[in-house]
Amino acid sequence: MKKTHIISLLLVASLVGTFIATFTSTSRSVGFVEAEKLEGAECKISGVLVREEPVIYDPKIDPTMTVFHMEDAFGIIRQVRLKKAKPTGLENSESIDLYGTMESGEFHATDMLMKCPSKYNENNHVLLSDDVESNS
Amino acid sequence: MEIAYIGEWTWAATIGRFLIALAFASSVVSVISFLTQSLTLGKRAYRLHAISTFSAIALIFILFGFHRYEFQYIWKHLNDDMPMRFIFSAFWGGQEGGFLLWMFWHNVLGLVLLRNPSNWTPHVMAVLAAIEVFLTSMLLGIYFGDFQLGLDPFLLLREAPSNMGLPWSLRADYLTAFPMFQDGQGLNPLLQNYWMTIHPPTLFLGFASTSIPFAYAIAGLANRSDQSWMKPALRWSFFGVGILGTGILMGGAWAYEALSFGGFWAWDPVENSSLVPWIVLVAAAHLLLINRNRKHPTALFSTYYFPLLSFLLVLYSTFLTKSGVLGDTSVHSFVDSGILSQLLVYVLSFVALAHVMLMRKGVWRNGVLFACVLLTIVALKGWPVEAVSLFLICMAVAGIRSYLKDIARSPEEESLWSRDFWMFVGALLLLVSAMHITWQTSLPVFNRFLEPWSGALAHWGEQWNSSFLLDLSKHNLAPGTNFDQTYHLVQIPLAVLIMLIMGFAQWLRYKQSPIQKVLKSLFIPLLISGLLTGVLIFFFPYEWHEMPRVALLFAALFSIASNGNYILHLGRGHWKRIGSPLAHVGFGLVLFGAVISTSQKQIISQNQIGDISSLNEELNNREDLLIMEGDTLPLGPYFISYREKVTEGIHVKFQMDYFAKDAKSYEPKDVVYFDGMVFEAHEAHTASSYFSDDMEDHWMFIPFPNARQAVNAANWKSGVPGEKLFTLEPRIQLNEQMGNAPEPDTRHWLHKDLYTHIKWGRVTPPETDEDGWMGGRTHVVHVGDSMLVGRTLLTVDSLRVIRDEERLDRGLLPKDLAIVACIRLDDRDHRETHEPLYIVRDSLIIPDLYEASTFGVQMRIESFDPVAENLELTVWEHESVRRDFVVMQAAIFPLINLLWLGCLLMALGSFLAVRSRWVRDKSSVK
Repeated sequence: MKKTHIISLLLVASLVGTFIATFTSTSRSVGFVEAEKLEGAECKISGVLVREEPVIYDPKIDPTMTVFHMEDAFGIIRQVRLKKAKPTGLENSESIDLYGTMESGEFHATDMLMKCPSKYNENNHVLLSDDVESNS
Repeated sequence: MEIAYIGEWTWAATIGRFLIALAFASSVVSVISFLTQSLTLGKRAYRLHAISTFSAIALIFILFGFHRYEFQYIWKHLNDDMPMRFIFSAFWGGQEGGFLLWMFWHNVLGLVLLRNPSNWTPHVMAVLAAIEVFLTSMLLGIYFGDFQLGLDPFLLLREAPSNMGLPWSLRADYLTAFPMFQDGQGLNPLLQNYWMTIHPPTLFLGFASTSIPFAYAIAGLANRSDQSWMKPALRWSFFGVGILGTGILMGGAWAYEALSFGGFWAWDPVENSSLVPWIVLVAAAHLLLINRNRKHPTALFSTYYFPLLSFLLVLYSTFLTKSGVLGDTSVHSFVDSGILSQLLVYVLSFVALAHVMLMRKGVWRNGVLFACVLLTIVALKGWPVEAVSLFLICMAVAGIRSYLKDIARSPEEESLWSRDFWMFVGALLLLVSAMHITWQTSLPVFNRFLEPWSGALAHWGEQWNSSFLLDLSKHNLAPGTNFDQTYHLVQIPLAVLIMLIMGFAQWLRYKQSPIQKVLKSLFIPLLISGLLTGVLIFFFPYEWHEMPRVALLFAALFSIASNGNYILHLGRGHWKRIGSPLAHVGFGLVLFGAVISTSQKQIISQNQIGDISSLNEELNNREDLLIMEGDTLPLGPYFISYREKVTEGIHVKFQMDYFAKDAKSYEPKDVVYFDGMVFEAHEAHTASSYFSDDMEDHWMFIPFPNARQAVNAANWKSGVPGEKLFTLEPRIQLNEQMGNAPEPDTRHWLHKDLYTHIKWGRVTPPETDEDGWMGGRTHVVHVGDSMLVGRTLLTVDSLRVIRDEERLDRGLLPKDLAIVACIRLDDRDHRETHEPLYIVRDSLIIPDLYEASTFGVQMRIESFDPVAENLELTVWEHESVRRDFVVMQAAIFPLINLLWLGCLLMALGSFLAVRSRWVRDKSSVK
């Protein structure tokens, strides 16, 4: 099966090529400081909402702009401008993943995923037990 | 001391655990007996296993039916408010139920196989029973020290590890003493819909059906002289293709109809990991088609390997989605439930089984087996990641060795113009597509593999000055968010090739075909698809850089037309023959519908409040529309009005009325604003959709409007609201557990869908102070700036220093410095100018809180910058004048129904193919 061999080889070659090509488009999960060095390149930053600072969302001025502060895994706090309507549950989120770029000291996020406290979490059993104890 | 708990169904937990244990034990017995050729015992043990599994499932349903909240699984997934029609959704809402559902289908399929015995039965059933051993072990819930084997579905709440030993769990009357246990937490409301009732069972039946081709391939490898395993494997592959494909698209339909993803496919890791096994199963089925009747099989290695791989990818998918390893790269967030290592062992055991079976008995096979044992010890000693890496390398070696030496290869060369050859090429392309998606989805997994090597990678990276290695050493890969770059770049060209092959190879015959005749039959489909693509380019604004997409549309149309033509010519009246071309038409339609509806998705909502858009340069208001209650705004080819907000149960519905857009006619001398400029009509005309189209012919620019023009000028409009057409009710689901979630509402037509969803809407009353004032945001404003406060437009007209004669009225001392801001307030009925003060007394700022009561607006000047000539102004709005508003998005998905039609045809075609093969194989056996 010579022809199939040639075709298989071509496919493998193109596969490797495309993997490398798409590898450059994967983003990197970093902290704010490193993102600053990557200025302009897309990266992913995980962190938690800084509750002491206000979450600013004024749809009358811009329905697709939410501004808040986030603390990354290294304890660095930066202002974040999320180009979306304020996601429901942002204030209660446990952790946030932002995708975007660092621009002049601010993080411009185009996409965001967050984890909200879920009652499916095992921790809640402990919570529940505490409630019960205080009841009894 | 044994406590006699009051009112607890302790017996049910005992029975349930006994059933699970029995199921586990009988599956082990079944494996051993089938392997040792004790068929009767094997069958009995398998039936016993099936019966105990079904009974355990029935018992859980009974517990759901009686609301037995002392059971953790029931307490987590049910509450008294939930209608009983969601009992199925609640059952498979958790991991335990998911495993039980999988086992249910697996056992149903196993029992079907047992009813149709053949000489393959012992091996096939041994593999199926072995899968069941692993699945059942996921439900054992036994602890070995800290290690947890499986999640017990019959776990009582008081026995949960985090509750054990707490004071309440030792009280015999705990169920009645605490209100906590009288009601459960209930299923996440996001899952309380009919999609959750139909999607998981279909998907899991699809998953379960991939294990049968796997089992047949293993059986085939155990007895390599006999090729007859391919026929039943082929039937089941097509069955799996039909069911799994339907299940995946059902998930897409769910995302589209009920979740606010803004589409039906988001390349989410969870979606991907169910798509990949399907793609590989399609490839496997076509390889089986090539070889099922051949004396001298071709591409035999792949014919064994693809069915194996498809099931292994199902296991990998289970591992990815249930172990928590994906972390937060997926919106379907799964928490690590403590069975990661067990799931990993499950996946790797079957990877090992498949690769060991690929090799013939001998030194190499023994070597690989020995390596597996050795690596297990290494893993247990505390180097799991290293062990798994080496294990995978070992498996790759086994695969290559078997390809080179252990599987017979065909000496003959395939003809270029044979169906076999092109089906093989198509299968390889499908594999490449599947591997690419897996690669992208697995980035979080790669990070775990890179972590232990990070030191070495950094070292080499520095030595060889390779930024690539240095990059890898950080093990921080994350999926990109630009789908064009991460997925479409590779997937679209592959899809084009696959579609072209699908349209062309259908007309080829096995072995050798008269190519002239084939080309003749392709002429008409080519012509039709070329013409249709031309029409598409004419109607839809495709850009040059979207050429690959247009090529895919053409390829899909070609494959639809060609397979349709095939049905007309060769399938007419022959139901048996139209299975495959029908499925191909369906698949073509799915891709065509998917590509056209997403690439030509037209977002028709735009922010219309023109007055403020000029204030804010960063305003990205292309996609979302802010609309006040009672307002009517143009929205693409409609007008939309936000009528009211209604709360029904757990939903807040926003009633959006859609109106037709009637033509707006302008008379001569009419004056309009457009983009901050004033124009006057010089002739009567009807407005077109865009001002730019009308400007040259009908309008005259007025650089210096006179008084009449300035007063009469109104914003230019392309139309006026006509009759009311329909109402859509996008909603927000009040969800305490997961956070409030928006749900879209969609209007369906044959040729398009209108999709609306709420991006932001208020579901709780706004926060106010005790006097009812809300807001209190500080803005920096210049003279001439304006902003909206509730229904009032606030404009800073001018600033001046206070005049001496005013001081007394305003209660100011002669020495005070004061600035007067002339602020104009406008609403529909009033226009007033108000003058709040900025007062400095002895270099202290005296705050002056100013209230404009007719407007319900309160303001205070915080500071004044004489150089920049701007103010910091804090503004409050009174709740009595507040108007509700929502931020919404509306989009048109053209031709999306072709996607669903394609899904139906694909499923129908697959089942026709299964049926005709079933009938044919049966008659050939007799």
